[in-house]
Amino acid sequence: MPALITDKVGKNYVLFSTLISAGVIFMILLMLLIYSWEAITQNGWQLFTTVWNPPAGQFGIASMLYGTVAVTVIAVALAVPIGLMSAIMISEILPGRYRVMVKSLLELLAGIPSIIYGLIGVAFFSLWIGNIFELDTGRTILTGGILLAIMILPIIITLSEDAIHNVPDIYREAAFGLGLYRHEVIFSTLLPIARADIAGAVLLGLGRAMGETMAVMLVIGSIDRIPSPVFNTLVPGQTITSKLGREITESAFGSVHFSSMIFMGLMLLIIVLGITLIAQRFIKLRSRLYE
Amino acid sequence: MSRILKNRLFSGISWISLGICCLILVFLIAVIAWNGIKAINFDFLMSESRHFGASGGIYYQIVGSLLMVLVAALISLPLALGTAVYKSEYLKNSKLQMLSDSLIYGLNGIPSIVFGLFGLIFFVNILNTGISWFVGSVILAFMILPTIVLASYQSINSIPDHYRESALALGMDKWRVITTVLLPQGISGAVTGLLIGLARAVGETAPIMFIATAYSGARYPDSLLEPVAALPTHILALAQQATDPDALQAAWGASFVLICLVTLFSISALFIRKRTQILSER
Repeated sequence: MPALITDKVGKNYVLFSTLISAGVIFMILLMLLIYSWEAITQNGWQLFTTVWNPPAGQFGIASMLYGTVAVTVIAVALAVPIGLMSAIMISEILPGRYRVMVKSLLELLAGIPSIIYGLIGVAFFSLWIGNIFELDTGRTILTGGILLAIMILPIIITLSEDAIHNVPDIYREAAFGLGLYRHEVIFSTLLPIARADIAGAVLLGLGRAMGETMAVMLVIGSIDRIPSPVFNTLVPGQTITSKLGREITESAFGSVHFSSMIFMGLMLLIIVLGITLIAQRFIKLRSRLYE
Repeated sequence: MSRILKNRLFSGISWISLGICCLILVFLIAVIAWNGIKAINFDFLMSESRHFGASGGIYYQIVGSLLMVLVAALISLPLALGTAVYKSEYLKNSKLQMLSDSLIYGLNGIPSIVFGLFGLIFFVNILNTGISWFVGSVILAFMILPTIVLASYQSINSIPDHYRESALALGMDKWRVITTVLLPQGISGAVTGLLIGLARAVGETAPIMFIATAYSGARYPDSLLEPVAALPTHILALAQQATDPDALQAAWGASFVLICLVTLFSISALFIRKRTQILSER
């Protein structure tokens, strides 16, 4: 083939692949929007009530929204303090030669598939929670939150450790030179400088926790209700993801039931996508994504 | 509180935090390794599952998982390489660069179950492909696309400009430069990204559980349009009957094998990256 033609074909090929790669995300959004349309028009604001009863035509997703928010809040509340302190420890206190070792171990932890976390949750955590709090079942919102906390710990630690480690040494030297103690150097100098990247790390962990399916689905108990009082997380609950995982195959394609499920997926997608894109503004992920 | 005391307290809390992390790590690894090694033997690896997985082995699940990620790799690698080349060599408008970055990061951030919903709507129902190996592979390919694109983009984009200039000065057209000069050097980055992507894809359950896999009875698929068995969905099915000790035992065995596959992909990625670093330093 003459060179001119291969040049043209080649250019078109790379352009075409770029359009596909960039188009997938729009395609996904479009599909979810089209197929949740029926639920939106049929149910309207009824979608945000608490009763989910497909045979009666009631599709309120409030319990699922509550569950998603609850497990995410628990996960972040547990993982951020522990993760941040560990990051400080690895970057500032631990001798440098251990740093690479600890970080590779953390990446190993991050590579464990979520279904295996789910299995461990079923086999251990839910039993422990059940015994400690003397419950009928250990499959509770709290169990899901704890499991998620463990799953997002590696992300939070590695990203915030990078952020702290990247602060130039000159700041440390200047701060120590003023006679500050180590904790004062860290809290008054290093953390404020690394603040934006740490915020990005936390947001990214938050997004992961919200979208996580398998582990949560196995341990949360899958009952659609908002506990009373609202902060009592020692009862079974339901998240958007666990609901989708459990029930999507039971709904007929094209029915209002199916459409309402897709609507939940759309809500989840919009929230998580928003969080991810905000996190990206805070943080330079460029090299992290594939390391 | 005096400053010395505060400093002590701070050190103490840091040590405790790291200690908690280490405990979790040791616990997870010990549990998986201990229960997993007890569960696996040659028969378990080489025979098919019986009684919904509670007895028998996981041979077809391993085969199915590998088949699915293999086709996913074949789909996503050409797509990702094309995108990376376009981003690096053709796309010069910085606004479009930023847009494409956002789209790629966005795609990377989509929850895995949403990919499953998309596959269920678009492929299984609109295109009427049915629950099949092919749909699972396409969806996994989309999931790992961002990882491969970014890895290839970085390695192509970091090739010094004098390579491009020398090649162009020899009279090559742009495509010639790309295929003979840039791709041979950039391919290792793409393969690294691919392997990291596969390490993630092989363990994913949520995107494939209602579009690609049969829970039991699937053997070698006759065509791309048949469902396969897969390790993650097999573990899911077993975990749901965790009160049965045999099922739980099989679940641990399958988990251990899955972790080994993930680690295999990750370590090959590390190995390739290390080798190319040495090559480029010469």
